[in-house]
Amino acid sequence: MNPTEFGQIAVNAVLLSGILALVALGFSLVWGIMNIVNLSHGAFVVLGAYLTFFLHELVGLDPFVTIPIVMFALFLLGFGVQQVLINQVIRAPLLATFLLTFGLEILIVNLVNYFFKADLRSVTTRYTGTGMSLGPLRIPYIRLAALGISLLLVAVTAAFLKSTRQGRAIRATGMDIDAARLTGVKVAQIYALTFAIGASLAGGAGSLLSMIVPFDPNLGETYTQRAFVICVLGGLGDVGNVILGAILYAFVDVFVGARLPELSQAFTFGVLVLLLVLRPQGIAGKKLYA
Amino acid sequence: MPERRGLRVGQWIGLAVTAVLLVGLLILPKFQSQYDLLTYTRFLVLALMAQGWNLIGGYTGYAAFGNVGFFGLGAYTTGLLMLSKLQVPFFPALFCGALLAGLIAALIGLPVLRLKGHYFAIATLGVAEAFRQIADTWDSLTQGSTGIDLPVRTEGEFFYYSALAFVVLGVLVTIALRRSKIGYAWVAIRGDQDAARMLGINTTAMKVLAFAFSAMFAAIAGGLTAYQNIHVTPGDFFKIEYTLQMIIATIIGGTGTILGPVLGAGVYQLLSNYVWTRFLELHPTVLGLIIILFIIFLPRGLMPVLTGSIEVARGRRRFRLQALLANVRAHRVT
Amino acid sequence: MEAPAVAQSAEALLQARSVTKHFGGVAALQGVDLEIRRGEILGVIGPNGAGKTTFVNCISGMDKPTSGTILFKGVDITHMPGYAIGRLGLARTFQVVKPLRQLNVIDNVAVGAMFGAGGSKRNTSQARARAEQVLEQVGLKHRSTHLAADLTLPDLKRLELAKALAMDPELLFLDEVMAGLNPTEVERAMQMLQTINSSGITLFVIEHVMKAIMGISDRIVVLHFGKKIAEGDPSKVIENPQVIEAYLGERFAKRARGERQKR
Repeated sequence: MNPTEFGQIAVNAVLLSGILALVALGFSLVWGIMNIVNLSHGAFVVLGAYLTFFLHELVGLDPFVTIPIVMFALFLLGFGVQQVLINQVIRAPLLATFLLTFGLEILIVNLVNYFFKADLRSVTTRYTGTGMSLGPLRIPYIRLAALGISLLLVAVTAAFLKSTRQGRAIRATGMDIDAARLTGVKVAQIYALTFAIGASLAGGAGSLLSMIVPFDPNLGETYTQRAFVICVLGGLGDVGNVILGAILYAFVDVFVGARLPELSQAFTFGVLVLLLVLRPQGIAGKKLYA
Repeated sequence: MPERRGLRVGQWIGLAVTAVLLVGLLILPKFQSQYDLLTYTRFLVLALMAQGWNLIGGYTGYAAFGNVGFFGLGAYTTGLLMLSKLQVPFFPALFCGALLAGLIAALIGLPVLRLKGHYFAIATLGVAEAFRQIADTWDSLTQGSTGIDLPVRTEGEFFYYSALAFVVLGVLVTIALRRSKIGYAWVAIRGDQDAARMLGINTTAMKVLAFAFSAMFAAIAGGLTAYQNIHVTPGDFFKIEYTLQMIIATIIGGTGTILGPVLGAGVYQLLSNYVWTRFLELHPTVLGLIIILFIIFLPRGLMPVLTGSIEVARGRRRFRLQALLANVRAHRVT
Repeated sequence: MEAPAVAQSAEALLQARSVTKHFGGVAALQGVDLEIRRGEILGVIGPNGAGKTTFVNCISGMDKPTSGTILFKGVDITHMPGYAIGRLGLARTFQVVKPLRQLNVIDNVAVGAMFGAGGSKRNTSQARARAEQVLEQVGLKHRSTHLAADLTLPDLKRLELAKALAMDPELLFLDEVMAGLNPTEVERAMQMLQTINSSGITLFVIEHVMKAIMGISDRIVVLHFGKKIAEGDPSKVIENPQVIEAYLGERFAKRARGERQKR
C-alpha cells in the first residue's frame, strides 16, 4: 500500500469515526444507565436517514436543516418506545430485553421496507461530491461537516450529562439506582429521558449518514453491531471512552476492510471475543455501570 | 423439579395428551400432501433446534445467539462427507457433523462462556457470523457462495420420520439430562452461578457441556435440512433467522421445560404459516409483534399456562388474569 | 452460655500465610496470617471493610489472593478453583444470601448434597434424602416444597446455611448469618451453630452481633483495614485497646466486662 492509499484510508477513518461515536454514544448511554442492550438502535439510525431523505425530497429542506427536526422526532419516538415497551421488561432477565429490542428491530425495519421499499436511497444536494484537497488526499466537505456536527452533538451531550440537573440525575441513576432514588430522582422519568436521548442521537447519525452513503432499510444492523464493539472497546464509563473506542474501531474497520474485505466481520468478531475474554473492561474504561 | 415415586394425576394427564399427539404425528403422513408434509418436517426440525437451545439458553440460562453457526456446520459437514470420495451414507455423516459441532462448540465455549449476559450473546452472534464468512471464503472446501449440492432424495416421508425420531430422541435425552446431576448443575448455574460454584459445581465444565449439546442438536437439524434441501449455501444456512426462530420457539413453548421447545416450535410454525399467507410482506413485522407480546405477557411461555389450565380444569386452581398481568407489573420500574 | 472445650492438641485445619489481596490500588488484605484449628469455633470481628468477606472469598476460591498461601488439610488450595475447594470439604455462606431462586427449598439443598464433599457417593435421590435431613436440622423442613424466591429473610438465612451443610463440610465459613435477626432468632441461631460444631464441623464465624460471637467462639480474630490486629481468647481480645479503638468502643468493653463478671 502506498502512502497515498494509506493516507486516504486514514482520512476516511477519521471522518467516519465521528458518526460512529455519535451512534455509539446513544447506545452506550442506554446500556450504561439502563443496562439495556438496545438491538433496535440501528433501526433508529435508519429512521433518521429516511426521515431526512423525505423531508429533503418532499419539503425541499436542506438535509443539514432537517437534523434538529429528525432528532426531535426520534426523541419523541424513543420516549414512547421506552414507556410502552422497554419499561415492561426493564427488570426482567437479559434475554427478555434482548429479544424485545430485537423484535422491535425486525418490526421497524420491515415496516420501513414495506412503506419505502428496499431501493437504495441517497440524499444528494448541489454540494454533494464537493470537497477539498490536502495534497493527494481528498476530503469531501459533507463528510467533514458530518464529523464536525457529530463531535458537536457529542460535546453537547457530554455537557448536558455533566452540568445539568437532569444530566447528573441520569449519571447518578447509572451509578447507583437506589442511592439516586433516595436523593429524589424519579427513575422512571430518567429512564425514559435516557432512552429518548439515545434514540435522538441515533436519528441524528442517520441524518448525517443519509448524505454520505447510499442506504436501504438494512443500514441499521451493522451500526448496532459497531456500536456494540465500540462500547466493548472503549468501556462504558464515559463519553471520552466512547470517542476513543470509535476512533480505534474506525481505524481497524477501515484497514481490515481494505485488506481483507471478505473476512472483515470474522476478524472484527475474533478481535471482539478476544478482547472480551482478556479484558472485559475495554481498552480504556472501567466498567462503571455495566 | 421434584421427583416422586409415581406420577401425580396432572402429570398422567399430560403424559396421555403427549402420547395421543405422538400417535397423531406418527400416522400423519398418510393424510398429508407432500407440501404439507414439508411444513410438518420444518416444524420438527425447528423443534430439534429449539430443544438444543433450551439446554444452554433455557436450563442453564446462557442465551446463546449463534447456534445457527452449528446448524450450518452440521449442514456442510454432512454434505461434504456424503459428497466426498468415501461417499459416507447419510446417518453416519450426520453423526459426524454432530460430533464435530459438539467439539468445536466445546473449544469455543471455553473462552466464550466465561462472558456474562450481553457479552456472551453478542460473542456467540459473532461466532455464527464468522462461520458464515469462513464458509463463504473457503472456496476450496465449501465452494464458497455457490454452495454444494447433496445427493438427491425426495421422499418426504423419509425426512419427516427421521426428524420425528430425532425429536423424540431429543425429548428422551432432555429428560435424562434434567434428572441427572448435570441437569441440577445447569439449573443451579442459572439460579446463581457464584452460589453454584461454591456448592461444588464445576460451572465451566457444565456450561461447556450444555453448549456442546445444543450445538449437536443444531448440527443434526442442519444436516437434515441440508439433505432435504439438496442445495447448501452459506447465505441460506447461516441465517440469523434460524437462531431467532429456535429462541422464539423455546420462549413461546417455555424455557427450561421438557416439551416446551416442541410445543413452541409447533405454535411458531403455525403462526408463521398463517402470517405468511395473510401478511406476506409484513410477515416480519407481525412476527416481531408476536415476539414482543410474548416477552411482555408470557415470558415463561405456554407450558406453565398449559399445566396451569390442567389444574384449573380440575377445579384445583382458579383462573386469574391478575396472575398473567402480575408478571408484567413485576418487571416494571416505578 | 459456655464455649465448648477445644482439644489441646488441635490440628491446624486451615493455615493462611501472608494472605494479601489488592483490588487495583486498594489493599483489602495485607499479609494476614491465620490458623483455624479443627473442632473450634473461630469468631471474626472487625469494622465494615476490614476484609473479612474478602478473606473468605480468597480462601473459598471465589477470588484469588494476590499473594500468600493457603493450606487446607495440608493441601495447597491457594490457586485451586472454587468448586474443587468445596469438594475438599470447605463450605461457605454468602453475606447477601444467594438462594437458587427458581428452585424449591429441597432442591436448593440437594444441590449442595450432590456436589459437595459427600456428593460423589450420592445420586440425585440420595442427595434429596440427605437434603431432607439437613432441612430437618435447620428447621426448614416445613418449607421443603416452597420456592426459594418465596421465603422470608430468616428462612433464607437458614436455607443458606442448609445448602452449605449439605455439602458435608469439615470447615464451614459463616458470613454474618445473624444479620437482621431479632434477639430470639439470634439465640436460636447460636444454639444451632453450637450443635453443628458439636457434630464435628469447624466453624469460622464472621459476625457483628457481639453477644453471639462472645457466646460461641473458642477464639476470636479481629481484622482491621485488611490486617489482623488481635487474636486469642475472647475475653482478652475485647480488652485489647487497639480492638476497642478500632471497633468496639469503650462503652461496649465496659458492658462486656460487666456481663462476664455476672457469670
